[in-house]
Amino acid sequence: MVDWEIGKLVEVELETRVVTGNEALALGALRAGVKVVTGYPGTPSSGVLDSLLRMKLDGRHVEWSTNEKVAFEIAAGAAWAGQRALCTMKMSGLNVAYDSVISIAYSGCHGGLVIYVADDPGVSAGMAEQDSRGFALMSDLPMLEPASVAETYTLIQVAFDLSERTGSPVFVRLVTSIANAYAPVEVEEPAPPPEREAILARDIARYTKAGAAICMAQHRDLIARLERAGQAIREMGMNELHLSPSTSSRAQGGNLGIVASGVTASYLEEGFEIAAQFGLERDTVSTLRVVATSPFPAAEVRTLLRHCSTILVLEELEPHLERNVIVEAHQLGFQGRIVGKLDGPFSRIGEYGVSQVVQGIGQALGLPVARSETGHSPGERAEQLAAQRPITVCAGCPHRGTFLALKAAIRRSRLKQDEVMVTGDIGCTILGMNPPFDTVWNEVAMGASIGLAQGYVHAGVATPVIATIGDSTFFHAGLSALVNAVQHQVPLTLIVMDNGWTGMTGMQVNPGTDEAFQPAGNRRVDLARLIPALGVEHFFVIDPFNLDESTSVIQHALTLPGVKVVLARQECAIQAQRRGLVAGRVQVVPENCNLCELCITRTGCPALSIGEGAVVIDPDLCYGCGLCAQVCNREAIRRDEAA
Amino acid sequence: MRGKAQIANGKWRMANGERRMANGESRDTFHVSRFTFHASRNTDCELRIANCELRIIPYDVFLVGVGGQGVLTIGDVLTEAALRLGMPVSFYPTKGMAQRGGFVKAQLRLGRQQVGPNIPEKGADLVIAMEVSEALKAVRFVKPGGDFLLFGHVWPPTAVMLGKAPYPALEQVLEQVQEAGGRKHYLAAENLPLYDGQPVPANIFVLGAAVGHTGLGQVLAPSAVAEVIETRWKRGAERNAFAFQAGLAQMANGK
Repeated sequence: MVDWEIGKLVEVELETRVVTGNEALALGALRAGVKVVTGYPGTPSSGVLDSLLRMKLDGRHVEWSTNEKVAFEIAAGAAWAGQRALCTMKMSGLNVAYDSVISIAYSGCHGGLVIYVADDPGVSAGMAEQDSRGFALMSDLPMLEPASVAETYTLIQVAFDLSERTGSPVFVRLVTSIANAYAPVEVEEPAPPPEREAILARDIARYTKAGAAICMAQHRDLIARLERAGQAIREMGMNELHLSPSTSSRAQGGNLGIVASGVTASYLEEGFEIAAQFGLERDTVSTLRVVATSPFPAAEVRTLLRHCSTILVLEELEPHLERNVIVEAHQLGFQGRIVGKLDGPFSRIGEYGVSQVVQGIGQALGLPVARSETGHSPGERAEQLAAQRPITVCAGCPHRGTFLALKAAIRRSRLKQDEVMVTGDIGCTILGMNPPFDTVWNEVAMGASIGLAQGYVHAGVATPVIATIGDSTFFHAGLSALVNAVQHQVPLTLIVMDNGWTGMTGMQVNPGTDEAFQPAGNRRVDLARLIPALGVEHFFVIDPFNLDESTSVIQHALTLPGVKVVLARQECAIQAQRRGLVAGRVQVVPENCNLCELCITRTGCPALSIGEGAVVIDPDLCYGCGLCAQVCNREAIRRDEAA
Repeated sequence: MRGKAQIANGKWRMANGERRMANGESRDTFHVSRFTFHASRNTDCELRIANCELRIIPYDVFLVGVGGQGVLTIGDVLTEAALRLGMPVSFYPTKGMAQRGGFVKAQLRLGRQQVGPNIPEKGADLVIAMEVSEALKAVRFVKPGGDFLLFGHVWPPTAVMLGKAPYPALEQVLEQVQEAGGRKHYLAAENLPLYDGQPVPANIFVLGAAVGHTGLGQVLAPSAVAEVIETRWKRGAERNAFAFQAGLAQMANGK
């Protein structure tokens, strides 16, 4: 383990590797001697566990857990037993885990406990554009935000140290553009697995919430721990304060002080170069690079306020730092301007980059920064000319069959699609909202499809209400909602689309994944046994590649009373193809094809295109599911079972 | 490599107060890859490798295309070439919910020690577009006077294939590039050279053309990129080498 004593020189063996921010975090955690790593997949955070699971790691436990709350509780248990533990999740996952996070924050920890959360400003992956820094504020936990891939490797190690030094869980927050970006990082040899003995500490006052006295004492301790963390962070000089050499120049609105956090700080130097063309005098600018955004670096900000006449706050999403800067300024009687989101040009929406740095400097100093330097002129027109490219399910995806069968079942039930509520859920199954399926109506949160469906039923919707959910999402948060539906005997049809993998996030294992692909010693939890055991009376298993049968089963289910569950089961084609499998062999019979395009318009399969006189199937893409053959009414596509 | 952590880049927390790279003033020595830099400014480093001196300048490449075209591989190869030269590099691929047929972009930033992953609008020295329509999404990022290399492949979305949605004409796309001040280099997709009777990998061909006919070749020498391509893949090494050389030799014209 690295000795972090301040000012001490450390001789290390370094190797330069090009890694993502997620990989840097994984390597840093190993270096810090992490013993237990848990998480639930979610873009852009999944890369940490994905990379750890590719390594051979003796003496450590790494797992994809059922959901983020479970994952965090496992990590916390390990940390209470004295080990270093890491839990990873995307911002939406923190919402799930937070009940335990805040409670465990009040108890503190013994071994180092780090929560890695990845936010997604600019929304590359689709979900609420939330700012997870708010969670650190509410739970009084320290939060570190690396500004680069290289810094991530170092800071995750500091986070473990800080956690143990203060007895507090510590957040490390990345954004997509660091989590998924590659850069060279000098990494040390991974430290050997830690040799700590697990400890058992019985401490009711600390590890329970038994009564007001205990809870309020814990609240006091919580506040004290955050103060200790703040002090340690100051001693380490983690928030890099650079005061301008010249304080006399009062030109251009006087000395500018810039507060920048996380990835935003990485754009400063480039912004200064551009702003210099508009008259910025670089040596009149002071900077505070905020790496530890919680606790708020009040001492450094006060020094900056005393030194500067104008403050520019650069932070993505919510104005958390800015509000606190304003409070400090008020208490100091600061007379200058504070430029940010509350007083200035910035948006709470989207990513920040060089443009915001330049624009902010221009605003703060009244420099004539050309609009063209930061504006969106000709290119936006160009983008509007681009062809729409809606995403659909992959060639060979079993969900295609399920959605086609669902559509057909609604039609055969003499209903229109716009009369039948089909609630949707997170993951690849949301693609049912896009053409050519247009079946799914909504997408909210993990497991929400089943709860929403019950609400529609209680609201008095007269037509059948259908919920759709993927296997991993069902295990994550759908299970308890289904139990609720069974208990209250809510008439709805749930379609669980089981492809055996957590697909959308890059093919992670989940409880239902075939044991052959699980880590050794794991056991598969079979949905076909689990769901009937919950008291679901009408339970059906369908093969989504068999369109007629699947349609009949769903149509029948819609006529039955109570809770009906249809388990649509076929492995994800991407995963199967990686193992060299095909579902069959599909060929066009050109003499029968009249180019009616029915196969393309019905299935939307990317392997199909219009050729000379007949439809063409791309043999590299085709998995042989045969759905196109089943929708063709001229026998122009033939499917043979795989040999 | 063995080094003192206090001076190694990114290691400042291990010896706080020792490293001050970001202020643009101090003269630091830091290790990158196998070589040693002497940095005087953030963006202007002298690189000494053996006896030759190379100036490292900031150079930004914006890549767009469609999943399945090997767009990200171009970025991977250039990243590896930069790393081998000891040049600072940031590579940020954005796949979104991408799959084959979905929009893909990537941003490669060379030569800056401290750099954010996103290239500002009008900031890219070079745009490489592998698909005609997707090229439009990169137009606002090309620097006026910068290179815009368009590989004229058309990958129509389903709605376009069925005649239910419009697809931009090549002339429209090139007009937009022109309006943005980009220097046009157009490679017709039909002219992809054959190796052993089969078309060569388009991405390696386009990479060769980019290195041979844009400013990229002054930042990363063709030989350095060729070396990465030669050692990266065991299978198809000759085909890839041929594709790269064919791209280098291709006269990209501003149609």
